Amino acid sequence: MLRSIAGATMRLLPIAIVLAIWQAAASLRLVDTAFLPAPAGVARALGDLLSGHEIRDNLLVTLFRALAGLVLATVSGVWFGIGMARSWVFNAIVSPLVGATYSLPKTAIVPLLILWFGIGSTMGILAVYLTCLLPIIVQTYHGVRATPAVVIWSAQSMGAGPRKMLWQVFLPHALPDIFTGLRIALGFALVVAISAEMIASTSGIGRLIFMYGESGAYDYMFAAVASVVIAAFLIDRALLRLSARCLRWHESQAVADIGAAV
Amino acid sequence: MSDAAGERTNRLRGHALSILSVGVILIAWEAAARAKLVPDLFLPSVSAVLIALRDGIADGSLPLDLGVSLYRAFAGLLLASFVGVAAGIAMARSTLIRWFLDPFVGLAFPAPKIAFLPIFILWFGIDHLSKIMLVAFSSVFPIIIATYSAAISVNPLLIWSSLSLGSSRPMIMWRVILPACYPRIFAAFRVAVPVALITAFTAEMVAGGGGMGATLMYAQRFFDSPTVFAYIVTMLAVGLAFDKAMLALRDRFPSWRESS
Repeated sequence: MLRSIAGATMRLLPIAIVLAIWQAAASLRLVDTAFLPAPAGVARALGDLLSGHEIRDNLLVTLFRALAGLVLATVSGVWFGIGMARSWVFNAIVSPLVGATYSLPKTAIVPLLILWFGIGSTMGILAVYLTCLLPIIVQTYHGVRATPAVVIWSAQSMGAGPRKMLWQVFLPHALPDIFTGLRIALGFALVVAISAEMIASTSGIGRLIFMYGESGAYDYMFAAVASVVIAAFLIDRALLRLSARCLRWHESQAVADIGAAV
Repeated sequence: MSDAAGERTNRLRGHALSILSVGVILIAWEAAARAKLVPDLFLPSVSAVLIALRDGIADGSLPLDLGVSLYRAFAGLLLASFVGVAAGIAMARSTLIRWFLDPFVGLAFPAPKIAFLPIFILWFGIDHLSKIMLVAFSSVFPIIIATYSAAISVNPLLIWSSLSLGSSRPMIMWRVILPACYPRIFAAFRVAVPVALITAFTAEMVAGGGGMGATLMYAQRFFDSPTVFAYIVTMLAVGLAFDKAMLALRDRFPSWRESS
């Protein structure tokens, strides 16, 4: 326990050092605080924002849009991926669409969605959904396609029906890849949700950051950006935890555990 | 042999079906627009989009916008690749640097970098520089992580052997460590190029200042739907072309291919 606290302090020390230098530079007027507000000021603004409604409500709206889009995309993307991997007809029909839109910079569809659905949560969720769909489809497809034929034949010879094959062979085999897709999609989800709010919105953290920037409240702007960074970090960690828990049985986990320790 | 032939017919049938599926979508789109099932504003016909695309290319506005966006994306990417490769190798070779940079990389990697746009505008102004820096900031972390993990797993036997053969440290860096990292750095580039493009386009959409994104937003504000679609189609084609180009590059340089 004590050792882990010491370890965490050691790990976070560089951030503390940089913050201290930054604070010293600001206090000594080495940098213009109009361009780089001192950490103390940003921390005060963050405390102020956290005690009020403004940042909490806007951040929650953004996270809701990002996560709602992500969940919908996961649920439908996995089915698309399995369908593409198991049926060449479905694959032939869908794959040109997936291939063409995979490399589209996804925020490009935001103006289109504004045109169709107006400004608001529907537009935000749809933009996130369409963005997240592709990595999940592609990863699921690869995961299912990579199921060893021997495993499929064994399960079939033991009388597994299509439903059982799906739940006990294909889905579990694709699960590590699905989680890889989910982590890629999570990064996209936050970027697209915030971008959509910066482009046009009446609520959300993206709009709030821009509003502070335009009104010159730079310490508040930095505080709002910091809250986004921390929230994104915590969600990413939570997803890693979840995938480690769901993939406990998988051999890649042994490697991932070492990776986490580095 | 009949199996291979069967495989081939299946693939041909698949291609035919793919072309058919795209064709059906395009025809249904054109028909729906022509029959006014949806207002032009929401869904301009395919032909109107093609005309907007042709006009944009003919009067030079589309190539100009594309040039500006690509300049921003690739200037940022170039910066990110120098900084990212240097930082990744430094982290792999020095425990002190690793200790110092690790929490920043860990914290910044999952962060949605676009949230920093107003800060970058404050620091670097509204024009090219803020967008280039944001692109660099967005695409540097995948490159750092890939380079680091490649450089840390270079077989120490290779380093020891070249040391014992009298190689100097810089020579080991250029001849042993860096080449060993190429496949993973290249894989990171396949991630970083789309990130750079999306960041450049999005920054332009949000902050204006010319480029594909700014014109796209401008067209949307004036409900010029054919131009909106024409620009989206162009972005799609650019994204696809770069991905194909990178795959072709990888085939051209086999040492860039990951062996695993």
